[in-house]
Amino acid sequence: MFKKTSLAAGVAAFATILFAGGCAIAEADKSGQVDYTAMTPHELAEYLIFEANGGGFNLAQEMQEGGTARERMQQDELQKACSIIGDGKPDAETLEAIRTAATESITYPEGGIQLGDWERGRVLAWSGFGYRVGHNYDDHAREVGGTCYNCHQFATDRVGGNVGPVLTGYGKTRGTSEPILKYVYDMIYNPHTYFPCTHMPRFGSSGFLDEQSIADIMAYMFDPESPVNE
Amino acid sequence: MFRKALLALPVALALGATAHAEKAPEDVLQGLIDSIDSRYLTQSEMNLMMMPDNPALWVGMDGEDLFHTARGPNNVSMEACDFGKGPGVLEGAYVEMPRYFEDTGKVMDLETRIVHCMTQVQGFPADDPAVRQRHNSESDHMKLQTYIAMQSNGMAWNNPLDHPLETAMRDAGEVLFARRAGMSDFNCYACHGQSGKQVRASVLPNAKVPEDWTKAISWPAFRVGHGHVRSSQHRVRGCYYQMRQPGMLAGSDASIALISYWTDLARGQPAILPDMKR
Repeated sequence: MFKKTSLAAGVAAFATILFAGGCAIAEADKSGQVDYTAMTPHELAEYLIFEANGGGFNLAQEMQEGGTARERMQQDELQKACSIIGDGKPDAETLEAIRTAATESITYPEGGIQLGDWERGRVLAWSGFGYRVGHNYDDHAREVGGTCYNCHQFATDRVGGNVGPVLTGYGKTRGTSEPILKYVYDMIYNPHTYFPCTHMPRFGSSGFLDEQSIADIMAYMFDPESPVNE
Repeated sequence: MFRKALLALPVALALGATAHAEKAPEDVLQGLIDSIDSRYLTQSEMNLMMMPDNPALWVGMDGEDLFHTARGPNNVSMEACDFGKGPGVLEGAYVEMPRYFEDTGKVMDLETRIVHCMTQVQGFPADDPAVRQRHNSESDHMKLQTYIAMQSNGMAWNNPLDHPLETAMRDAGEVLFARRAGMSDFNCYACHGQSGKQVRASVLPNAKVPEDWTKAISWPAFRVGHGHVRSSQHRVRGCYYQMRQPGMLAGSDASIALISYWTDLARGQPAILPDMKR
């Protein structure tokens, strides 16, 4: 889904740093110990995650989306490009490549963007369940939520976070025109199309939420009956 | 107050120095609160009020007994173990961890060093419950960690970066802190890059504000919501869990690298030990 080629140019410099001298990773001294000090910080970090004593994580665990923890820990191009020490942004060219790739990743429902069931959307927006692994694995026999309240305030009957913007009264103040519906759909599906290297997850591109769940959460934001728009 | 005096007394006898014990953990926290405007530090008035009766203090007292008791197949106490300042010397040891240990050739955090002491000095097998159980107030680990950490209360975080391995681990930890991966694309900055932000009702510490960050990394702490004293490794595990990334293995070099970096971020700020958290 992610267009790796369009980003390749933007992250070429980064990749060079990451892989230059990569041979140091495999080299061990006479005692069989790998010399951590011979690696760059990036090389060592990757080595500690994937290699040191079999890996720093429980890499064999199976993931809900298929594959193993080892695969989930591997970064795609966007994750690599947006991993900036100090939480800064990459250069303008890389940001533009991320934005373009994000836009290309978005697919729309057949028949256009629809609003679903706001009551189910309310439950999903509140739920923090889904895709957690490790010591307390989320069994997806239970419905995957959107974790939206972690960062956003919606209806004020419940306390939401403030990492992201306040969304109280969203539909009431903005209406339900095609452009605003598209904007919110895109923001949920892949927010890097508007805000490259944002901290908001790509709920559509990653497969975290399916089409119906996105429609229901959008209904919670836009439906006049929803408590968000009281 | 009386209990604190009781706690301090045996340490005074053992070490002949108790300067750090004169300031209670709640006073250390109050000092930080007075020094900066922080929603994170002030978010729980209740916890501040409860800190003189922090259940972690009792866990630490149990740890004191455990530390000084001859145990394991080799029937020796942990006084024979070196936590970085010489055998049995605990004052200020914890705020200078993780550190490089000559005897293992590795950078180790407190939990890993306790495992080393239990298995190599006391002779416990690696699968003994004393070694394996890490996570509840009743575990030997939490008792020992709390006791050892309390001997650094009020002291400034100062993990050494003299040995090349200490620097390499700290620098790799910095990369891990920023490394995005998994279903949510999160890294540590997603929650710890800004001040005054909250996830649901929890106000988050900002890694860029050392006065915030010293409280954030002051483990062991009694987590009121859990009803248990928790460790640094437990916090790391919880963060990766919420980030939708795989389970980090306690004691892995990856975990120690991350803890080396997060300790460096709080350098110079006083540790609150034991702390109390929501």
